[in-house]
Amino acid sequence: MTTAQHAQPISLLLDPATVQSIADEVWPSLVGDGEAFVPVPVAPPAEVVSAWVDIVGPWTGSVVLTCSPATARALTENVLMTRPPAVVDDEDVADALGELANVLGGNIKSVLPGESRLGLPRVGTAPPRGRLDDVCALAGQWRGDFLTITVQGTAPHPSGTEVPQ
Amino acid sequence: MTLTATSFDWVRQLVHRESAIVLQPGKEYLVEARLLPIAQQRGLSGVSELVESVRSRPDAATTRRIVEALTTNETSWFRDGDPFTSLTGTVLPQLVAARRPDERLQIWSAACSSGQEAYTVAMLLSDALPNAATRVQITATDLSRQMVERTRAGRFSQLEVNRGLPASMLVRHFTRAGNEWEISPALRRMITASECNLAAPLPRMGPFDVVYLRNVLIYFDLPTKQAILGRVRQLMRPDGWLFLGAAETTLGVDEHWERVVLGRGSAYRPRKGA
Amino acid sequence: MRALVIDDSRAMRRIVGTILTDFGYEVREAGDGRQALDVLEEGWTPDLCCIDWNMPVMDGLQFVFAVRATPAYRQVTLMMVTTESETGQIVKALAAGAHEYLIKPFTADALRDKLALLGLLPEEVTA
Repeated sequence: MTTAQHAQPISLLLDPATVQSIADEVWPSLVGDGEAFVPVPVAPPAEVVSAWVDIVGPWTGSVVLTCSPATARALTENVLMTRPPAVVDDEDVADALGELANVLGGNIKSVLPGESRLGLPRVGTAPPRGRLDDVCALAGQWRGDFLTITVQGTAPHPSGTEVPQ
Repeated sequence: MTLTATSFDWVRQLVHRESAIVLQPGKEYLVEARLLPIAQQRGLSGVSELVESVRSRPDAATTRRIVEALTTNETSWFRDGDPFTSLTGTVLPQLVAARRPDERLQIWSAACSSGQEAYTVAMLLSDALPNAATRVQITATDLSRQMVERTRAGRFSQLEVNRGLPASMLVRHFTRAGNEWEISPALRRMITASECNLAAPLPRMGPFDVVYLRNVLIYFDLPTKQAILGRVRQLMRPDGWLFLGAAETTLGVDEHWERVVLGRGSAYRPRKGA
Repeated sequence: MRALVIDDSRAMRRIVGTILTDFGYEVREAGDGRQALDVLEEGWTPDLCCIDWNMPVMDGLQFVFAVRATPAYRQVTLMMVTTESETGQIVKALAAGAHEYLIKPFTADALRDKLALLGLLPEEVTA
């Protein structure tokens, strides 16, 4: 038995167009003037990294941003407005990618019904997805590189323990 | 990239002249991204074609759209706050004293864009007057039908409500509608929005007690400025108030106005006997 | 003028801090509400605090309560800068004593507009 059993799946609460409209506000303000998340899917890279925030409330799950490590670095350079020779380190990348997920997540939370809480951003391998219909995924690209925004329900875990990150 | 170097240079000079904002080389992509929708609306294939068309046939409305597209992402609510603090501080008490209680106060937002100015006035007056809904009529006009429709809808994106709208007013007068914010029906009912070209003969409207005509005149040549100010004066009450943009004035343009200093800013009133 | 930027994200602290520095502010940073209180207790009293909501150790709302409970900090202007954007959350922050509320994402222009509302924009920037 999972707590999400009686809740409506995210596919009934949120449509990809709303996620896109949120991304349309996040990219120009956080990534840079004239920048955009383009909802045209491209082939995924061999290696990916994710940043996500959890939403806990009437609907419980995560807002996950996924891209290649190189794209994560480029996004970070943009967010931090670094110019060569300044370089960003791994901590910068984790922080900036996490903040992007946080801002996306907070805005997505605000369009969901009822009161919810937002967790702190985490970075690494994305948490497993829950039910198949409890996903609202937006596949796209930034500057031609693979990037996805996925709003996904929490996976049931029979042991009842936290999924190790 | 369809933008030629000549077109980019022309846009740079235009934006610098009108807004004092400098577009650095390398911002070609920005010009392209912001101006392409304007070109497409006009049935042109690209930004360079748009620039060519405006250069060969000067057109204040398109010029204004180009500058706006490159200088402001969103209109601010209390943009240059003085014309609004003066409204409730000085203008409104005088008008209320001068008019009969059953006379409607008529206010005109003459280049309303997506409606921020008209709704700012509506919010201030509904806070200042207990019977604002029946006492005040706000007319909002714009050249663009799209902007008129946006004003009527009274829906604003998160980025738009972030621009200078006090948080206390946001929570009092707006409700969330998905990822947007919607103004309360009571305020929307105070506003009538319609299309209007200031550079052509004006429809029957008013007479207005207060006119906001801000950041419009800068886009026109002197004879057109004079014609617009003359037509606006015809639609105003003799003791009405005109607010222009911070960088605009009637001085040296139309001598039928009297400048009045209000706080840190100023307003203009029809000169007696003019 | 002095500003304390309180956010657990270094990136966000840098963005807000850079904008405020451009406006002529002397800026210090704190990674959570507790660290921010430490800065205030040190005697470094800012004109403005920009406060994220969700942070570890002490969140932004708790920080607002703590500052408002201390008469010595009465002059400090508190502005939430957060991705929390439901009406209920904004009301809660204003009721706790925050003066303004800026929703993430925001542009430099939006931050400037809020400072203008608060009367905290230096004259040379207003012009």
